[in-house]
Amino acid sequence: MNRYVPEFLLMFICAVAGIIAAGCSKKEASVVFAVGGAPAEIDFWEKTIQRFEEQSGIPVELLRQPTDTDQRRQNLVTALRASRSTPDLFLMDVAWIAQFAASEWLEPLAPFLEGSPLSINVFFEPVIRTAATYNGTLLALPVYVDAGLLYYRKDLLEKYGFAKPPELWDELVAMAHTIIRGESQEGNELTGFVWQGAQYEGLVCTFLEFAGSNGGGITIADSLPIVATDRNRSALAFMHGLVHSEKISPVNTGTDMKEEEVRFSFQKGAALFERNWPYAYSLHQADDSPVKGKTGIAVLPRFVGGTSAATLGGWHIGLSRFSRQKERAFALIAYLLSYEVQKASALEAGWNPGRTDIYGDSTIMERLPHLVTLHDVFSHAVSRPNVPWYSYLSSVLQRWLNAALTGTVPVDEALNKCEKELRVIVERYSTRKQH
Amino acid sequence: MGKRISRASSDTVWLAVLLMPALLLPVALILMPALCTFVNGCMQDVTFMPRRWAGLANYARLVQDPALFHSLRFTLLFIAVSVPLELACGLLLALLMQVQSPLRGMLRALVLIPWAIPAAIAGRVWELIYSYNWGPANYLVKLTGAPAVNWLGSSTGAFLAIVIADLWKTVPFVAIILLAGLSAIPEHLYRQAEVDGASFIRRFVAITLPLLRPVMIVAILFRTIDALRIFDLIYILTSGGPGGATSSLSLLGYTYFVGGDFGYGSAISTLIFLIALLVALLVVRIGRFGSSMR
Repeated sequence: MNRYVPEFLLMFICAVAGIIAAGCSKKEASVVFAVGGAPAEIDFWEKTIQRFEEQSGIPVELLRQPTDTDQRRQNLVTALRASRSTPDLFLMDVAWIAQFAASEWLEPLAPFLEGSPLSINVFFEPVIRTAATYNGTLLALPVYVDAGLLYYRKDLLEKYGFAKPPELWDELVAMAHTIIRGESQEGNELTGFVWQGAQYEGLVCTFLEFAGSNGGGITIADSLPIVATDRNRSALAFMHGLVHSEKISPVNTGTDMKEEEVRFSFQKGAALFERNWPYAYSLHQADDSPVKGKTGIAVLPRFVGGTSAATLGGWHIGLSRFSRQKERAFALIAYLLSYEVQKASALEAGWNPGRTDIYGDSTIMERLPHLVTLHDVFSHAVSRPNVPWYSYLSSVLQRWLNAALTGTVPVDEALNKCEKELRVIVERYSTRKQH
Repeated sequence: MGKRISRASSDTVWLAVLLMPALLLPVALILMPALCTFVNGCMQDVTFMPRRWAGLANYARLVQDPALFHSLRFTLLFIAVSVPLELACGLLLALLMQVQSPLRGMLRALVLIPWAIPAAIAGRVWELIYSYNWGPANYLVKLTGAPAVNWLGSSTGAFLAIVIADLWKTVPFVAIILLAGLSAIPEHLYRQAEVDGASFIRRFVAITLPLLRPVMIVAILFRTIDALRIFDLIYILTSGGPGGATSSLSLLGYTYFVGGDFGYGSAISTLIFLIALLVALLVVRIGRFGSSMR
């Protein structure tokens, strides 16, 4: 037995050395870029990366992450907290940029922009100002932007003599009642308005739109209430009413309704109005869609005296502070945000570019005319609070908004209790106590 | 005399050496992580704030946190409802599996399927079953002419829906453990009782239940601690909704880890660990107490 010990030892050392060598050489060679999960998304990145590799000679490795937004974040938080040098680049949801920024995980991008053909002025100004910048430092750039939209059935609105989509929430309710009544007389069962109401991030987004279009919202200031205001109360009561008194939104709004459930419902022709992100448009207009050619889009309605609000979403690209090859990684950023790639992302992947100049492109205007509406929507987008501890605010909000929506707690009580819990969170994490 | 002492002490040394691997394992795998988690709970360990010692601040926060209180109440209620039901159904299933019949082998294999399915997948399946529009549960309801039910829409409904899904998933586990216990009861005890004229119920109460007790304790222990940590099924079925009604302790802890507050997340984990420890001690103590009575 003992005779073999030296051989085993030697083999073991060789194996370990081999693994270390392989690990090192890989890290040196390629830029690692973490992207999210839907197969179509991955396909687009793979094609784009291949072109970049051919042009620049810089090898890139795609790190595939799950589709679920929370899991993507958890994935990155684990790597960054351990100060791992990879991934060098990653995509971030707008809602986490502040957390990543305050954790000092993001490399400031301004110095890199100086020597690059990429200009900061081509991007949507409100997006750069309210989402990509933290404490005055530019830390991310928008790859694609999202904002809440109203989808409506053009054919049904025309059939009942409505020339335009609703501008006020009350008009939406009235139209829904008229059309549902008319259709049910013809034996067609129809739901009025589908939107995201389940207990998750999407609910906070829709709430910000209802509240924002009523002059309300979330305020983080010393002496002011965070959410417990009259304007928010009446907006939330309206949301509750859509489900429980007007009954134009489905009973399961507060339990099942997330992006895809909402999209399916509209797409199979079961709903008149839909609140969703822009991604649904190309799917509604696909050849196999029952609502192809019948789908219209517009800015979301508002309350009397308010202005339409659309919650800003979308994904930004960030450069890890722990990256060992920042110059090369930034070369990839500049490529991904170049006119050609951003245009291709709109045409091939159906994304809404973070660059404004794409929206005036002649091919885009011809093939994706709806982007003109989107350009207006993005210019008026409202951001979620840009604080590092946003996710704690959000989880409290999700809980109480959903409680009010499903009717397990009355609206007033829910907002008051929510306010109390939010106050604790703000006091615990607000920046004044940090340093 | 001196010789005997040195021999005894060298025995002790040997004993220690031989026991070392068995002791190191729990120390490295259980005690160390638990201690590290506790210590981490004493830190202000938030990714976006400076890391520093915070003493018991996180633990003090636990006491005042209404969300934690809510999650604790839900989790304890979940244990109180689901574990006894699991035990009762598991025992019934175990007795069924013991009956001599040509189907016995098949039944024993089939029963294990829900247990073998990952909880995340089971969660998706139950999500479909409860689905308001497309779910088989509402299909059956509509067959009777009643309007569709939004199963996960009320606090009670969502709670029961999770209990039922959990029962489906874990009863087989309890049944298999109890079946092992049943098989270990000597057959002659039953035959003697039968000769003495004991009825089926009398035999069950006087022989089966007492002899099954140690195995039942094990099953209760496993299930209580598992139920205390419930996460995956709820994460998928309700994500804690409606309105936070089904937010378990683990789910709450998870939100803090994802949001970057590892200190408070660790404090919540430590709390779960302490409750588990308490439950384990309690169950084992009650179990011993019972056996010494006889």
